[in-house]
Amino acid sequence: MLHKRERPGSPSFRTFLSTVFSYRKNAGMAAWMLHRLTGLALVLYLVMHIIGLRSLTDPVLFEIYVTTFRSPLFKIAEVMLLGSIAFHGFNGLRIAIQDAFYRSENQRRMFYGVLAFTAAVVIVGGLVILYPYFIKPLLP
Amino acid sequence: MSPREETGERLSEKRFRAVGWLMQRITGLGLVLFLGLHFLLQHLPNGFLATAEEYNRMLQQGEVLMQQESQSPKGAWAPKEALPGEHVITYSKVVERLQSPLWKVIDISLLLLALSHGMQGLSKVLGDYVARVRLRRTLVALGWIAAALLAWEGIRVILAAGMNIG
Ligand code: HEM
Repeated sequence: MLHKRERPGSPSFRTFLSTVFSYRKNAGMAAWMLHRLTGLALVLYLVMHIIGLRSLTDPVLFEIYVTTFRSPLFKIAEVMLLGSIAFHGFNGLRIAIQDAFYRSENQRRMFYGVLAFTAAVVIVGGLVILYPYFIKPLLP
Repeated sequence: MSPREETGERLSEKRFRAVGWLMQRITGLGLVLFLGLHFLLQHLPNGFLATAEEYNRMLQQGEVLMQQESQSPKGAWAPKEALPGEHVITYSKVVERLQSPLWKVIDISLLLLALSHGMQGLSKVLGDYVARVRLRRTLVALGWIAAALLAWEGIRVILAAGMNIG
C-alpha cells in the first residue's frame, strides 16, 4: 500500500500535487490533505473576516468594506470560499461518521460522496453568485 | 520510554487533546448548521440583502453614503451601482437584523464555534509540524490568545450593532 516515491521522506510540491490527483489510488491521503488545506484557508479567512467586520461600527467604513468585495475577482474568490467550506464540512462529517462507527471499508465510496456533494454545492451556489457578473451580461 | 518523553506532552496536555478531539466533532456539527445558515443568508439572494433596485435607489437618495466621499477615511472612494440581479449587503439591512437579540445570539454562537474549532484545528496542525516542545507550546498559547482577542472584538461589534438606532 505504500506509495512509491523517488525520494521518500522529502515532501515537495510535486509530491503534494501527485498525491492530491492520485485520489483513485489513495483517497484517504487526498482527503486528509484537502481537509487540512481548506481548514487552514478558512482560519485565514475567518481572521480577515472578523477584522474587516469591525467596520460595522461605522456606516461609511462598512460600505467601503462591502463594495471591495463586489468585483468580478472577489466573486470568483467567493465561490472558492464556498467550495472550501463545502468540502471541509462534508469531509468533516465523513471523518466523524467513520470514527464513530469504525467502518473504513466504504471509505472510498464515502469520499466520492463528499466530492459529489461538494461539486453540487459549488455548481448551484457558484451559478447564483456569478450570475450578475458573468452570466447575466452574456444573456440577450 | 515514558509517554512524556515520546511526545513531550504533559498528562494534562494529553487530556486537553482528547477533549479537543471530541470538541472538534461537536463544533464541526454546530458549524454545519450555523455556517450553512450564515452563507445562505449573506452570500445568496434573500430578504436580508438589498435587491439591485433597492440599492440603486438608496444610492440615488444618498442614503448609503451619509457623508461626503471626500470625508471617507480611506481617501478616494466611489460607490458602485448594483448590477441587474445583484444582491447587496447593506449597513441598514445588517443592523436591522441584528436588532433582534435572537440574531445576536446566533451570530455570537457562530463566531465562537468557528474560532474555537479553527484554533483547535490549528493546534493539531502545529502539533504535527513543530517538533520543539517549548516552541509548540508557545505558539499554541499565542494562538489561543489571538483567538480570545478576536472573540472579544467580534462580540463587541455584534453587541454594538443597532444600539445607536431606534
Ligand atoms: C462546515 C462545518 C465544519 C465541519 C463539519 C468541520 C469538521 C472538522 C473535523 C471533524 C475536523 C477534525 C479532523 C480530524 O480530526 O482529522 C476538522 C479539522 C479542522 N477544521 Fe473543521 N469543520 C468545519 C468548519 C471549519 C471552519 C469554518 C474552519 C475555520 C475556521 C475549520 C478549520 C479546521 C482546521 C484548521 C482543522 C484541522 C485540520 C487538520 O487537523 O488537518 N473547520 N474540521
